[in-house]
Amino acid sequence: MKINFTSNVIIFLALLSTSRIISQESIYGIVTQKNGTPILGANVYLEGTYDGTSTGVDGTFSFETSETGVQTLLISYVSFETKTVTAQVNEMRDLKIVLRDDVNSLETVVLSAGTFEASDNSKVSVLKPLDVVTTASALGDFVGALQTLPGTTTVAEDGRLFVRGGDAGETQIFIDGIRVFTPYTPTTNNIPTRGRYSPFLFDGITFSTGGYSAEYGQALSSVLLLNTIDEPDQEKTEIAAMSVGGGVGNTQKWDESSLSVNASYINLAPYIAAFPDRNDWEKPFEALAGESVFRKKTENGLFKWYGAFDTTNFELTQEDINDPEGVRFGLKNYNFYTNANYGVALGNKWKAFVGGSYTYSRTDIGIQASDIGNKENSVHVKTAFRKRFSNRVKWHFGAEQFVTDFNEDFSEDASRAQYGFQNNISAAFTEIDLIFSRNLALKVGLRAEYSPLFRETTLSPRTSLAYKTGKDSQVSIAYGDFYQQPGSDILKFSTNLQARKTQHYILNYQYVANNRIFRAEAYHKQYENLVAYTTKMPTFDSSFSNEGNGYAKGIDIFWRDSESFRNLDYWVSYSWLDSERKYQDYANRAQPPFANSHNLSVVTKYWVDSWKSQLGFSYQFASGRSYTNPNEPGFLQARTKAFNNLSVNWAYLLAPQKILYLSVNNVLGYNNINGYQYANTPTANGNFNRRALRPAADQFFFVGFFWTISEDGSDNQLDNL
Amino acid sequence: MKHLILITLTLLALSASGQSNYEKGMQKAFDLWSEQKTTEAANLFERIAQAEPDDWLPPFYVAQIHVLSSFSEKDKEKMIQHMKTARDFLNDAQRLTQDNAEMLVLEAQLLTAWVVYDGQQYGMKYSSKIADLYQKASQLAPNNPRVVLGKAEWDMGSARYFGKPTQLYCEDIARALQLFTTFKPAGPFHPQGGKEYAQQVWEQNCNQ
Repeated sequence: MKINFTSNVIIFLALLSTSRIISQESIYGIVTQKNGTPILGANVYLEGTYDGTSTGVDGTFSFETSETGVQTLLISYVSFETKTVTAQVNEMRDLKIVLRDDVNSLETVVLSAGTFEASDNSKVSVLKPLDVVTTASALGDFVGALQTLPGTTTVAEDGRLFVRGGDAGETQIFIDGIRVFTPYTPTTNNIPTRGRYSPFLFDGITFSTGGYSAEYGQALSSVLLLNTIDEPDQEKTEIAAMSVGGGVGNTQKWDESSLSVNASYINLAPYIAAFPDRNDWEKPFEALAGESVFRKKTENGLFKWYGAFDTTNFELTQEDINDPEGVRFGLKNYNFYTNANYGVALGNKWKAFVGGSYTYSRTDIGIQASDIGNKENSVHVKTAFRKRFSNRVKWHFGAEQFVTDFNEDFSEDASRAQYGFQNNISAAFTEIDLIFSRNLALKVGLRAEYSPLFRETTLSPRTSLAYKTGKDSQVSIAYGDFYQQPGSDILKFSTNLQARKTQHYILNYQYVANNRIFRAEAYHKQYENLVAYTTKMPTFDSSFSNEGNGYAKGIDIFWRDSESFRNLDYWVSYSWLDSERKYQDYANRAQPPFANSHNLSVVTKYWVDSWKSQLGFSYQFASGRSYTNPNEPGFLQARTKAFNNLSVNWAYLLAPQKILYLSVNNVLGYNNINGYQYANTPTANGNFNRRALRPAADQFFFVGFFWTISEDGSDNQLDNL
Repeated sequence: MKHLILITLTLLALSASGQSNYEKGMQKAFDLWSEQKTTEAANLFERIAQAEPDDWLPPFYVAQIHVLSSFSEKDKEKMIQHMKTARDFLNDAQRLTQDNAEMLVLEAQLLTAWVVYDGQQYGMKYSSKIADLYQKASQLAPNNPRVVLGKAEWDMGSARYFGKPTQLYCEDIARALQLFTTFKPAGPFHPQGGKEYAQQVWEQNCNQ
């Protein structure tokens, strides 16, 4: 018994070891690229075992294994797709392995027509997240930073984005893929607005000036996509003291979740008392805003909730050519926006996204003796899925619903009117990405929208194609149809209309190498079904139609270089635009005042190490804008003089956690003129008098002190500037 | 009884043979590494990682090799490739171990590589995160010499940048040097190196 047992063990152990000695098989072969070039340093091994080796200079490999039967041989190398060969071990001889390019790698062509990215991760990123807040002319407004990119026109008195001959309403803004219905603080003539949302809650910004994905609708010209930060770096408290107000923020982190809260208060009263401007302020601009982001990680997904509340008020009397007393204007706005979304990996390369937003906005305006109050309630819900069939074939599809309920009250003396509209839009989209090789990629999409209000269905095909022309350069083209319903300024008076339509054709060239980016883009955009009306302003008495149309074409050029000069980072944008349209009350096709022909921006940032300071300059030039001079024949036939602005800023790092920031807008004090207001009635000699529309103040000064308190005492607020 | 012993012996034999394969493989990888054959070393660690899916050390060393390679690489595209590969293996290793100071130090080094790659862009973005990682690491393992050294070196760099005295960090570096002589790694293949580098940091910054 005992002997038997021992012999058993010996036999067993012997078997174990002999099997290792006897059945050694040799596996050998060569690994090359598609074109036959041998690959050095590829990892070749039998899956789940220790047996393997690296390829040599000539791409060959050879190793011994004691494994038998059918096994899987894995061959991997950086920036190539991993290849597997499953076969009998004793047949793995003289293998000729060809590795395919990994199309997920950095060298792959990018579908870039129309799109600018501001993020860390993308090679094609033209702006970095910090730029949004360190550009001299932007004053911490992300919209201000985007206005230094080509494709935008300078409409200094407005502050919103005007893209490629489109008006401000033609750009839609999305936070985490969900629409923002009221992105800007409302304001009045000649007082530029700002984006409502604080730039440092976002770490990815994509600005598309045309040809964008079928995922986005209800935008004729442009979409701006903002993504909130997935995971904050650390717990901290931030305090800001500024010449125009102050702010506090706090971030808390737990194992799987985090919460950021911030609040700010802006009051221009002290500033206006010190530097009076051209307006006669009864109640200078005052705004109180709070924002909060909560994030929670689940096993395979991420839940985000974003909420923002802000309230704004001001009252002033503005000069007016028709009223020597001036025109009194008062405004109160309350805005609440909340957005929740959940993205989750479902397994088998499926991903799902569900999200929704709710907006409540109330505005009370008083103009002279009239009072206008409006309320908007809007909801957007969306669900989308992504399926990755392989690295080369991806499918994205989804459906969404927009609901808007708008009501307005108008009263003047004894007369009173109530009106409004309800609008639902249902939409669905589907899109396929095909990456044929590192050199060629195609995106094809289709979007369908149905509006019960108009009883209208629209179909928008979209496509873009990119081809790599060299190691660092590529060409892409894009085409798309885009529909957008008229804005609430029209719909509140008439809903017997159709959606407006544009078609985009884009040709893009891009060169990216070694911290230098060059982009040139030519485009043509056709407008149809624009809203025309018979009165000077839309009213109940207007008769509305979709008879308007127009076009915009042009060339946008961008150059950024952070390599050539030590510590200097700069970019230059130039846009040439030719656009005419017939809409609103236009008698004929003409160049609208917001679509001037030439726009140039030069932005520089220079880091002075010995001063611990960043000096920023930004210069903007815009050629003259159109206006109608009633003393001459014609419509929108005259041009203002060109616009010039040089802004400087200085950020000084006092200590790792304390920053002093100074900026001056229009430091050289150019006298810019945005347009003219003409008298309604001519003088005795038949001339119409006019008044130049100038900025409320030619210059603006800003001083801020930013202090961060974090556990380890190292974070700073440079990225808040 | 017989069967029980047989099973036990078989298991022992199996585990002994598995162990020796692992030891042989790890030893070979360290040998290749010390011969500057970093690609081969990384490839071998990668092979061990896929054969031993529950061990955090092999993916940790793949990431470590790529982080170090990115520091010595001149070609910016290749630097990015090293940093991205390092991130993949760091993520793999992080899934296999919790509250591990060595992992935190490696992650801090990887982020430092990004700062070296583009200081203007990543300096501000990652400096707080790096300091945070060293802070956490020194809470977990206050007497780990690599933690003490990494934290001191980073803090010293920040202090020098802001024109503050750096001498007090030399005490930490001296302490790290001392800790290297007494440090007992948790196993034969657990991280234990860094003394020569600490010596170098001392010579360059503190030996006046």
